[in-house]
Amino acid sequence: MIFLRRQLPIIITLITGLLFAGQYYVPHPASEQMLTSATKWMQIIGGFALILGVTSLFHQHAVKIGRQEAGWGYSLVLYVAMLGTIAVGLWANGKESVDGAMTAFGWVYNFMMVPLQGTMFAILAFFIASAAYRSFRARSREAAVLLVAAVIVMMGRVPLGEYLIPLSGDLSSWILNVLNSSVRRAILIGVSLGAIALSFKIIFGVERSYLGGGKE
Amino acid sequence: MRGPARLFSPITDHVSLITVMSFAERMLKIDRRIIFLVIGLCTLLPLLYPVGLPIKISSEVRGVYDHIESLPEGATLVLSLDFDPASKPELYPQAIALLRHAFKKNLRVIALTLWVSGTGMAEQIVTQVAKELGKETGKDYTFLGWSPGGQAVIINMGQDLYSAFPSDYSGKPTKGLPVLEGVRNLKDITYLVSLGAGRPGVEEWYVFGKDKYKFEMGGGCTGVMAPGLYPLLRSGQINGLIGGLRGAAEYESLIDQKGKAVAGMDAQSATHVAIIVLVIICNLFYFSMRQQKSVGQG
Amino acid sequence: MKREAYGVKRWDACSACWLLFMIVSMMGVLASQALAESLITAPQDVRVFDTPSDSGESLTVQWAPAPGDSPDIRYQVLVGDAATTDPQKLTVVGEFPSNSKYVRDVKTAWWTRTAEKTWHQVMIKSAKGLEIKNDQPYAVAVATVQGDQRVFSSLHVAASSANWFNWNQLNNLIIGLSFAGLVFYAINYAKRHEIFLRRIPGLDAVDEAIGRATELGKPILYLTGAHDLHDPSTIAAAVILGKVAKRAALYETELMVPHREPITMAVCQEITKQAYLEAGKPDLFKDDANFFITSDQFSYTAAVDGIMLRKKPAANFFMGHYFAESLLLTETGASTGAIQIAGTDADHQLPFFVTTCDYTLIGEELYAASAYLSKEPVQIGTLRGQDIGKAVILVVLGVGAVLATVGVVTGAQWPQLALDLFRDLK
Repeated sequence: MIFLRRQLPIIITLITGLLFAGQYYVPHPASEQMLTSATKWMQIIGGFALILGVTSLFHQHAVKIGRQEAGWGYSLVLYVAMLGTIAVGLWANGKESVDGAMTAFGWVYNFMMVPLQGTMFAILAFFIASAAYRSFRARSREAAVLLVAAVIVMMGRVPLGEYLIPLSGDLSSWILNVLNSSVRRAILIGVSLGAIALSFKIIFGVERSYLGGGKE
Repeated sequence: MRGPARLFSPITDHVSLITVMSFAERMLKIDRRIIFLVIGLCTLLPLLYPVGLPIKISSEVRGVYDHIESLPEGATLVLSLDFDPASKPELYPQAIALLRHAFKKNLRVIALTLWVSGTGMAEQIVTQVAKELGKETGKDYTFLGWSPGGQAVIINMGQDLYSAFPSDYSGKPTKGLPVLEGVRNLKDITYLVSLGAGRPGVEEWYVFGKDKYKFEMGGGCTGVMAPGLYPLLRSGQINGLIGGLRGAAEYESLIDQKGKAVAGMDAQSATHVAIIVLVIICNLFYFSMRQQKSVGQG
Repeated sequence: MKREAYGVKRWDACSACWLLFMIVSMMGVLASQALAESLITAPQDVRVFDTPSDSGESLTVQWAPAPGDSPDIRYQVLVGDAATTDPQKLTVVGEFPSNSKYVRDVKTAWWTRTAEKTWHQVMIKSAKGLEIKNDQPYAVAVATVQGDQRVFSSLHVAASSANWFNWNQLNNLIIGLSFAGLVFYAINYAKRHEIFLRRIPGLDAVDEAIGRATELGKPILYLTGAHDLHDPSTIAAAVILGKVAKRAALYETELMVPHREPITMAVCQEITKQAYLEAGKPDLFKDDANFFITSDQFSYTAAVDGIMLRKKPAANFFMGHYFAESLLLTETGASTGAIQIAGTDADHQLPFFVTTCDYTLIGEELYAASAYLSKEPVQIGTLRGQDIGKAVILVVLGVGAVLATVGVVTGAQWPQLALDLFRDLK
């Protein structure tokens, strides 16, 4: 059991890790083919894994409904929405429209999913404003610099800002292209080095905590 | 011992108890719903009463426009609509403007999406603009639909477009479509634009597409993502970037067909200014509070 | 008469001069035309070979520059069946001014360059009406064209093939392997020596956050981000979850981990279980502490926001990679008064986390978190390796900028030898 839970996954990780790291340097179509096949396997495994997820979701909400926990009505809504969408999706063969006529699935997509998703994303604008009001304070010199930069960029990105302060457009472009790009590159270099180091540790079995279980 | 549970438990907002606080402190802890109301009004009023402020064209948007403008008739443009309805307000006008430009230039358009939840919307966009400009599916354009795998689809298209998409969205076999004549894989396309709201999107098309199969590409994204894609633009990895609603409005101005984005720019202008005013007010209160505290301590 | 005669003589002299001028001019034009025509020579030293370091289906043609290369003179590249002997019968696959398409235009390094930078180079690939197949020979010729005149080079036969190594990426491989060596050396070093680790306030606050949740009798909410386990940030988030779960188990505080990806959920379930075992509280472990919501971005966000507002967790952890949902999550969390600790490598979302969370682990600090929390030499050694790597990059950036400037100012080629070592070549 220990072999199946510990050694085997590490061996698989080592072999596939080295193979796919090496794949990057091999331009031969066979190597590309291997990458495509592996990604397809991952999709298939991912498909089966979805069963795990859906089971967890159904179980969690079934327990809530069974015990009539606080807010169990939301769980009921989830069941109805999910099963209803699956039913109309199967009925319409996954098509939103057939010969120009909207199917029931199309109706769910256009009149439920589109506005609901749009609403969630639109909330962002309100949250940005409230977060900015609460946090954007010139507590220190650095914070003041940030504040001024933010105001310039916000002005420079809209026609009214450019109309009121004509220089703000060019200044905001400069801030985005020069200051912002260089800082992001610096962060990216750090992130990339960290990711490469973590990848090496995983490939060579130095980092194992993601497998669950502690030290052997 | 639990009491009877409520069917829908109330979602209450966290409201701090206001005890003895100065005016400045109270203003700093203002109920955020007031801020929401201000932003709501600043968005709604300009949409109802548009002003139509002039829009300055940026070099990054011009990059995409100029490249499409330079393409010969019949060149292939792949348009990947990698977004879902959530990002519709920003990326929908970009897609419409790009398609209008491409169809006017008589380019062969190959549209697809890497986001399953955006398939229906992408199809609507492409069909709507094609109909508007009298273009014929299969001959002037094709919508390939969605294929599972995200970045794997890009790699697959790089090897063989027909194995990644054996049929188009309507179910017609892609092999033999006149619009795909001479196109075997991504190496054969002239230009690609990915309008991405996240991953997979512009970055994935660069890393797994352009980098491997060497074609020219441009990008479009939501406003919040644009600063993150500037390094790609500066290093020449993409030759242009349409950022958010502003980018869409610039593109609409460039093709001289003003639409939803230009109309939305007034609302965006008003909200930006509202946020700036809010930030200034918040800082005024903050400094007045600090001053009061230092006087109190003194 | 005299005047008349004089007049005649004067006219004669003028016309003679005019005639002379015309003859000279015409001779000049003819001479220059003849000179130009004499410049149209067949392309010299033509080489045709399989394009190296590629996936096949392409041939490369190189030839020496001619002294008369100018925009008026054009080159044509012609391809056809290997059996063709007459270059006239080949298909033109490319035509361009003779002062374009040089080796220097192609992104290659000195160790893979097969001709001088001033030579012409064209890559032949499959196009409309032409298919280049691997292991099939093709006849290739280059022609110089001016007006109606066309001069061909000799015919060359070559076949394309797929290659097993991209030599342009040799520098990338060496740098990667060197970095791996460096990391493992640093790990070994850390096993034998004490290494200083700077404080990361966000991680110091983990205990405080869990302690506060315990005091208030409220749960802890832990998110692992938008990506699946192929992303290092999710793995880092899963590793940190182990540490957080262990402390939560010790303090007997409820832990909730909503997921966007089923495989990550399964792995995190294992990690949490092990953490409870290690803490000596296996009986407190609940299978449904890790649960799946949906893979859809905003549906997940709405669900987690709902959990935050209903259950009011005292501590929220946002580890891993995030997109536009970041602010929607953290702003809602902030409104419930929870302590919020974020850690992300999503540079585009950092401003939102910094604004709304109490502590934020920026970029690679997320990867460093497991080292900081465990204090294991292996982890700390990795950090040391990363730091040395970063120092090397800084030096390369500085020296590279100086060398590139020297190269541009002096026109010298030698700085390019060093710069090529660090170029991203495909």
